[in-house]
Amino acid sequence: MLARSGENIFWLGRYLERLDDTARLVNATSHLLIDSHKDTEFGWPVLLDVMGLDSSHILMEYGLDPKDASQLAHIEQAVMQHLISNVESPISIRTACSQLKFNARTIRQLLPRDMWEELNKLDSFVQQQCQALNGRQQRYQLMTEISRRCQMVLGSVDSVMLRGDAFDLFTVGRHLERADMVTRIMDVMVLQTLQPSLLKRPRFRWISILNALGGVESYHYYLANNATGAEADAIDYLLSYADFPRSVSYCLNRVAASAKGLPDSAATLQHVQQLQALINQQPLTDLSTAQLHELIDQIQAGIIHLHQVLVGVSLSEQQALTA
Amino acid sequence: MSLENFTGGRYPLTPHCFDELVTNAGTVRPPAGAIARFIDKHGAPELFKRQQQLNQTISDMGVCFTLYSEGANIDRAWPLDVIPRTIPSSEWQRTSAGLKQRLTALNLFIDDLYNQQKILKDGIVPADLVLHSKNFLAPCQGVSPRYGVWANICGTDLVRDEHGTFLVLEDNLRVPSGVSYMLENRTVMKRVFPELFADSTIVPVDDYPAQLWQMLASLSPRGDGTPPCIVVLTPGIYNSAYFEHSFLAQQMGVELAENHDFFVEDDLVWLKTLRGKRQVDVIYRRVDDIFIDPLAFRADSVLGIPGLINVWRKGKVAIANAPGSGVADDKVIYAFVPKIIEYYLSEQPLIQNVETYLCQDPLEQSYVLANLDKLVVKPANESGGYGIMIGPRATPLEREQMAAAIKANPRNFIAQPTLNLSTAPTLCDTGLEPRHLDLRPFILQGAELYCSTGGLSRVALTRGSLVVNSSQGGGSKDTWIINDEG
Repeated sequence: MLARSGENIFWLGRYLERLDDTARLVNATSHLLIDSHKDTEFGWPVLLDVMGLDSSHILMEYGLDPKDASQLAHIEQAVMQHLISNVESPISIRTACSQLKFNARTIRQLLPRDMWEELNKLDSFVQQQCQALNGRQQRYQLMTEISRRCQMVLGSVDSVMLRGDAFDLFTVGRHLERADMVTRIMDVMVLQTLQPSLLKRPRFRWISILNALGGVESYHYYLANNATGAEADAIDYLLSYADFPRSVSYCLNRVAASAKGLPDSAATLQHVQQLQALINQQPLTDLSTAQLHELIDQIQAGIIHLHQVLVGVSLSEQQALTA
Repeated sequence: MSLENFTGGRYPLTPHCFDELVTNAGTVRPPAGAIARFIDKHGAPELFKRQQQLNQTISDMGVCFTLYSEGANIDRAWPLDVIPRTIPSSEWQRTSAGLKQRLTALNLFIDDLYNQQKILKDGIVPADLVLHSKNFLAPCQGVSPRYGVWANICGTDLVRDEHGTFLVLEDNLRVPSGVSYMLENRTVMKRVFPELFADSTIVPVDDYPAQLWQMLASLSPRGDGTPPCIVVLTPGIYNSAYFEHSFLAQQMGVELAENHDFFVEDDLVWLKTLRGKRQVDVIYRRVDDIFIDPLAFRADSVLGIPGLINVWRKGKVAIANAPGSGVADDKVIYAFVPKIIEYYLSEQPLIQNVETYLCQDPLEQSYVLANLDKLVVKPANESGGYGIMIGPRATPLEREQMAAAIKANPRNFIAQPTLNLSTAPTLCDTGLEPRHLDLRPFILQGAELYCSTGGLSRVALTRGSLVVNSSQGGGSKDTWIINDEG
């Protein structure tokens, strides 16, 4: 494989996962609202904040005042546009899908035909269906369908893609993104409970997040066999329960396992180890909400660092060759 | 028109044109029998339905081409008509023999030009025509690539005259494209018309990538038994033929690389891979000659792999097509190809040329200038249908401008009679109508000769139009070689 293609296949994995997880992030909110009291106010701008954007600034661009309670319906609409349909938005599903297709086109020679076709179908579906957004019900179905189509791509990868450097880099990219997105989805919950205006409201239930991540049943299994507490254990489960494929710990294990076979992986493995230590250093059940938010920030910073290490390897490799 | 009676003579044949599927008497030609039965049985609604399925399949498969300077929206869906074009296998046998004969002679010609130049000394081809051509590349002199073959991949454009005889319209010896669409057209048609494939004996086309790989492997200079490192060289993702470059690399299982992925060191060419440098044996280049190596051809160009030509001259890397092959891909040289075949092979050409007037010949030039309204005038060194003037369709002003251009630079123009290109039934808004088409087969020459089964049929989608290039609104058809030899 070309040195240059390494980064494209890594990004292909990241964008595919980002697409799936953004759809799950949107649906986590739907679950929250379904499970909440009808008067519950949901802090929609938080969805932009967890994606690393300044929600007040973005909403102003949509001509909205984030503090104006009367504009809540419009705020929801604008946040959804920014997350789903707006092609100018760096975090929208349509943007992620265009990036996915661009990377696939650049390294098509590495991709099996089945995967290439599933990617094409996914892209035409997303670009056509994510233009005008309707009510919550249709949005929920649309997001579910996007996740399902992402699974179709993964199914083709799983069944026909050669196991080699390209597959390993794809897997590393996918799990790094998943670890990152799971912490962001968790942060939605954490930030909701931190909002002063919502302190008097009933606390949102973690089960909604687990639902969007497809982990309700396995969480129950975990509770029955491993844990004692109640709500706080969902945090423990999502961060450190390495048997659940959407826990941060599982993702990091997969990054390490796939990176091991790649050239110059020592630095990557070292960073994964540091991140694992961070997650396992304290009993997570003891953390306050503010401490949890702080921990999530640290994990995200660690993931960014890990990304730089991974991408840096293939770049320095190229430079060494041309020197 | 009604489709209920496709075989009943209601298809509007174009006068003085050979139709690929229907005889002048309105009956269906035998190889098209299965198609006619399908149309008679299902009628127009089913054809339109299948056309929709076909378009969806093309989108799912990501079959596309890229138009120059279209900004962000760079990919266009590949246009394919539902009605295939059929050719009996007995006729195809003769045609492919003629194509192989032609490429063999052209390669002997190129090898001669860059070495002894016997054909020039014998006065068969005028020396100044070759030696002053911008496609005659001085750095290639004295080189003889493996098997003496320069143009390893050739796309020859064939047309039929009004009697149905195949004629060669041009030889594409530089970086001919289109073969990926020939292959994908077939894949699409198999998915959309499975029953037709069960109802007739259609010869498969899908061995081309394997044949291409074998041909390229036969060029490898490394004789140590290790599998050759073959790389497709592309100008990049914005090139109009990028789809084909990535498709062929994928189908052959080889790398697709750009200039900056290579470097020259110790008189060898290397590829920068994830696991260090890897020695390259064969480069299937889809880049024009002058952009291959900035040190060899163009001082003002920074594009290319510096030092590549030097390694090639030393025989340490093979390049297909070899640099300099374009000297025979020139519409003026084209006029001499029948003589070239006779000269090197002592054989008569199996496929004829289209009658061609050379504007550099004073007598022929005056004929051309007097008959601009009847002739097609082509620049000698353009491709993609650019710069062509179709006399009967041109305005008086366009003809005047062309006359001036010819007088200023006669070497650069040839003229041919306006051809009655053959037609084939094509699905249009109102039903089936005849549309003009050509055929581009692909011929490979390395250790052995190979000709594709049929080729890419390109069709002019506008009524009466003769322009089939996809860059100018042309479409395509799947080409079925139907076994008629039992």
